[in-house]
Amino acid sequence: MKFFQDLVEIITTAEYRNYILEGFLNTLGITFIAVVIGLVLGFLVAIIKVFARANKALAIPNTICNIYTTVFRGTPVALQLFIFVFALFAIPGFKVYAVILCFGVNSGAYVSESIRAGIMSVDGGQMEAGISLGLSEIKTMKKIILPQAIKNVIPAIGNEVIALLKETAIISMVGSTVGTLTFDLNQASSTISYAISDFFAPSIIAALFYLVVVYLFTFLIKIFEKELHKSDKHN
Amino acid sequence: MTNIIDIKNVHKYFKQNEVLKGVNLSIKKGEKIVIIGASGSGKSTLLRCINRLEEPTCGEIYFNDKLISEIDPYEHDDIIKKSKTYARLLSNNMSEEEALDTIKNNHLLKPIKEGKEYKNSIKKYLNDNYLDITVARSKIGMVFQHFNLFNNLTVLENLTLAPVELKLMNKEDATKKATELLKRIGLLDKKDEYPSKLSGGQEQRIAIIRSLCMNPDVMLFDEPTSALDPEMVGEVLSLMEELTSSGLTMIIVTHEMAFARKVASKVIYIDNGIIQEEGTPEEVFDNPKNPRLKDFLSKVI
Repeated sequence: MKFFQDLVEIITTAEYRNYILEGFLNTLGITFIAVVIGLVLGFLVAIIKVFARANKALAIPNTICNIYTTVFRGTPVALQLFIFVFALFAIPGFKVYAVILCFGVNSGAYVSESIRAGIMSVDGGQMEAGISLGLSEIKTMKKIILPQAIKNVIPAIGNEVIALLKETAIISMVGSTVGTLTFDLNQASSTISYAISDFFAPSIIAALFYLVVVYLFTFLIKIFEKELHKSDKHN
Repeated sequence: MTNIIDIKNVHKYFKQNEVLKGVNLSIKKGEKIVIIGASGSGKSTLLRCINRLEEPTCGEIYFNDKLISEIDPYEHDDIIKKSKTYARLLSNNMSEEEALDTIKNNHLLKPIKEGKEYKNSIKKYLNDNYLDITVARSKIGMVFQHFNLFNNLTVLENLTLAPVELKLMNKEDATKKATELLKRIGLLDKKDEYPSKLSGGQEQRIAIIRSLCMNPDVMLFDEPTSALDPEMVGEVLSLMEELTSSGLTMIIVTHEMAFARKVASKVIYIDNGIIQEEGTPEEVFDNPKNPRLKDFLSKVI
C-alpha cells in the first residue's frame, strides 16, 4: 500500500513532478546531442577506415582512428566520464559539455564500427560497377554503397542509441544537483527517493519514462527500416 | 585501322602468384575478340586489367593511343637512356644495347635515384600521352559475371545514373535513351522495378544496356553467362550477338564456344598467364596447333 501512497504523493506534489520532468528533459537532451556527435564522428571514422584500405595516404588518419575505437571501446564509459569531467575538461561551468562530449565520443567509437561493417557488407561488385562506368569512388560511395549500407546499419545504430540513453543514467557519478543540466532522470528519481525515504515508487516512475522512450524509438526504427527496404525482394 | 586497345607486356602478381606472365595484345576498332581458356588461366584478370579493376604489376595499357595505366619505364628505351644507371653502365664500357638489356632484365631502375633528366622525361611522356582512368572508363563498358546492377536503384535509375552524374547527357535525354534501349530488349515494363525483382537473364541484359547508355567505344564482357540458369543464357547471347553488327569493339571472356565461333573476329587462347594461340575462329577451333589448346577444346566441345 505504501507504494501507491508514494505514487500519489509524487504525482500530486508539484516539486516532485518538476524533478521528474526536468530530469527527463535533461536525459533526452544529453542523449540527443551525444547521438548526433556519435553519428558524425562514427561516420567520419568509418569512411576513413574504409578508404584507407586502398589509399596509402590515409595510413596515419587510419591509425589514429584505430587507436580511438580501441581505447573507447576497451575502457568503461564511467571511467571515461571521470577523465573527461575531472581531468581533460575540468573547467568550471563546463561539466555538462564534458559529459555530452564524453558520451558522444564514446558512442562514435561503436557507431563507426557498425557503419564500417555495414559498408563492408555491401557486395564489392557494386563499387566495381560504379567505377567501371566512370564514376569516382567517392561518388559511387555516396550514390550506391552508403544507401545500401545504411539499411544494414540502422538496427545496430538503433541499439546504440538505446544503449546510450540508458548509459546516461550514470551521470550522477560526476555529481548532479537540482537545477543543473546534468540533473538527469535517474538522479531525479533518487532525489525524490531520499525525500520520501523510499526507492520503489520513484524508481518505477523513472523506469516507465525510460521504457516508453525506448519503446517509441524502437517503433520508429522499425517503420524507418521498412521504408528503406522497399528495394528488397521480400517486402 | 588504328588500335583502340594496346596491352604491352602486362604482368600481374597476386602476392607471389604470377597470374599474367607478359601479355601483349593489340585490338583494332570494331574487332570482336573472344578470349578462351581454362579457369584460373588469367583471362578474367587480363580483362579486368584493361579498365584497371586490377592494377597491372608491370606493363602498360593504352586506350586510343593514350596511356591509361601507370607508366612502366622499362617499356621506353628513350626514358631508360636518361637514367643515371644507364650512364653508369655505359661508363663501364658497356654497349648501348647491352646496357638497355641489363637494365630491363634485372629491373635496375630506382624510381627516385635516377636524376632530374629521367624524372622530367617521364613527366613529359605522361603530359603528352596520359589519359585519366576514370575518363577512359566512361568509354569502356564492362559487363560482369554477377551483373552488379545497383541494388538500391530502379532499372531506369541504373541506366541513367552514370550519364547524368558525369554530365554526358541531361536527365531527359538519358531517360529517352534508356527507354529506347529498354524497349529494344523488351523490358520497358520493368523500368520502375528494383533489380531484386528481375530474373538473372533480365538483370544481365539490363547490365549490358547500362553500359550502352554511356555510348562506349569498347565493351568488356567478363563471363557474362556463367552465373545464369541455362534457360537464360540464350537471351543474353542473342543480345550480345545483336551488338556485334554495330561497329562496337567487343572483348568477351566466355566458355560459350559455339557463340565464340559465331561472333569472334579473333579468338585468343590463354593458358598459364600467356597468350598461347590467337587467330580466326576457324584457325583456333578447327586447326589448333598448341597441344594444350587441343586438350582444352576436346574437353569443352
